[in-house]
Amino acid sequence: MEALQLILNGLMAGTILAIPAIGLTALFAVLRFTNFALASHMTIGAFGGFVANAMLGWPIIPALIAAFVIAGLFGVVTDEWVLKPLRASGFITTAIGSIALTIGLENLVRFAFGNQMRGYNLPLRRDWVLGGGLRVSPQQVENLVIAVVVMALLFAFLALTRTGKAMRAVADNPMLAAIKGINADMVARIVSFVGMGLAGLGGMLIGLDTTIDPLVGFKTILSVFAAAVVGGLGSIPGAVVGALVIGVGEELSLLFLSPAYRTAIGFIAILLVLTFRPRGILGARQY
Amino acid sequence: MTRQTRRTLLKTVAAAAVATTTPMRAYAQGEPIKVGILTPLTGAGGNDGPRMLKAMQAVFDEVNKAGGVLGRKIEPVVEDDQTNPEAAVRAARKLIEVNKVPIIMGTWASSVTAAVAPVCWESKTFIMTVSGADSITALPHQGFLIRTQPASKLQATAHAQYIADLGHKRIAVLGIQAPFAVPTKEHLDAFLKTKGGGVVSHVIYEKDKPTYRSEIDQAMKEKPDFLYLNGYAPDTIVILRDLFRANVNLPKFCQTYAVPQATLDANPADVSEGIITALPSADVTSKAYELAKARLGLSDIDGFVSQATDWASLAVLTIAKAKVASGVAFKDNVRKISQGGGVAVSSALEGLKVLADGKEINYEGASGPCEFTDIGDISGCRFRWSQVKKGKLEFVKLV
Repeated sequence: MEALQLILNGLMAGTILAIPAIGLTALFAVLRFTNFALASHMTIGAFGGFVANAMLGWPIIPALIAAFVIAGLFGVVTDEWVLKPLRASGFITTAIGSIALTIGLENLVRFAFGNQMRGYNLPLRRDWVLGGGLRVSPQQVENLVIAVVVMALLFAFLALTRTGKAMRAVADNPMLAAIKGINADMVARIVSFVGMGLAGLGGMLIGLDTTIDPLVGFKTILSVFAAAVVGGLGSIPGAVVGALVIGVGEELSLLFLSPAYRTAIGFIAILLVLTFRPRGILGARQY
Repeated sequence: MTRQTRRTLLKTVAAAAVATTTPMRAYAQGEPIKVGILTPLTGAGGNDGPRMLKAMQAVFDEVNKAGGVLGRKIEPVVEDDQTNPEAAVRAARKLIEVNKVPIIMGTWASSVTAAVAPVCWESKTFIMTVSGADSITALPHQGFLIRTQPASKLQATAHAQYIADLGHKRIAVLGIQAPFAVPTKEHLDAFLKTKGGGVVSHVIYEKDKPTYRSEIDQAMKEKPDFLYLNGYAPDTIVILRDLFRANVNLPKFCQTYAVPQATLDANPADVSEGIITALPSADVTSKAYELAKARLGLSDIDGFVSQATDWASLAVLTIAKAKVASGVAFKDNVRKISQGGGVAVSSALEGLKVLADGKEINYEGASGPCEFTDIGDISGCRFRWSQVKKGKLEFVKLV
């Protein structure tokens, strides 16, 4: 029964983790570098949603949309101004630049909002008790539904729309896509918007269940990164699977490990995957 | 208590810097004596660090206005340790190697002090701290460290006594991964065993996690009748919230520093209702305490602010006694002005006057008598117990 409860907790955590992990993997697929600025965009989204919800009094769903849009816009602007000029120098330079960017943006949030923790304007509800003593929080269930809906929308966008197909084409073979006349710059902007928007949404979803502070993204980025790597960098379904594996793995580890070592699971997962299956669970190729 | 944002803090620091530098030249001659302040302005200690900083600056301002010490003014150099050992070590190196400070005051988290202390003793820099873990004074610090905070043993035993007096026997401990986590649990258990109780479950958790549901489940497996939460503010907020959700309605203890008003405001009031908290108290009957209140313009100051007041005062008086500002001089002279048979003094100014008359002094501080053992611990302390009622911390009693 304890294991079942842990699996349930892990699935809930994993689903939330999946959203920023999809963002990270989509950015990687198109732009070909690991964008660690995702962490600060999670924070920006969380605070954007906080302004909409706690300060302006918007309900949660519009606030989540605000989180997505604000983080997405920041993503486009910072990519255009900071990361794009770095891309010519290679992916390592760009990835390191993204770490610097994330520190800068995080401190911007700190200056604007201060360092203390904040909560959204939400009633705190007691857990539902399911059969067999399993507990689940209503907020987590709502977050799960939101996460699943967002993922469904994203898959539809990628599979059915022209822009989505263009993104996949660039991800698959940038040179061929360019020959076909797909504007790579525009695709880069769109993927920055969507990827960082998802990060912002994920940041707010994490905050809904807990609290937010300027480090909300930084605290989660390792798990997000682990999810994307385990699932296969560049594969969007892989990011979902990876996030569930990391979420459940971190929880199940409590059966035999002290909770003090929970973060180690992310590292161990990355290590195992890179050793035995470098392209990740669902990754199409090895980078 | 007012909330301290980074912005207001910067203003305060800037204003204090201007205030301390401008009028001094008229009085003090010679190069200023630099002293290091390394305290958490951000992170889990961000509620206490800025207040400790103000308390220290107030003492230095007072001394500087009266002409400084050894004819020189005191110039505090302030760094933020971010409640983060790695950032703290970098800042400490900067203070020691660039600013050449002979003393560092103000570290708060035990993990931070444990990381900074070796940097200090290796470079013969003196350090004064508020960190409580037993292991801090057990470090091979060669006398370069003192603390005004009671050690974990003193604290945990006092807590256990109080909890036992309330009639609780089966205690679950949820502690953040920190140097004090295991010793605190062991001291609690040892004392409670003498009263027929004990610690029935002990979970050490990692900081910065968005949820602690599974940790709570683990702690609750042994059906405790009391919860001892031994964390910092950020994680305590999440744990309290998850306890509420999980329908756990047991009486709870938290360290007072883990439930500043920000913690209480972050959750609906009924989540924190009834929490019992304790903090090593200021010596509210002392003259130094009254002077510190007046100096800061506050009606009440807590243990941290009074300890910071004492560090600054001890630093000034030690320099005056040793007639030189070096780490070794602090190590060799701090006990000569804080204990023994000299004239009892309650502030740096008062002490400076007595020292100028060629007499010995014994500084009696705002946090207590400031008498240090060979390893740098204080011998006893009172505790201020409070309880959360309707979203506010209310004073219960001094023990």
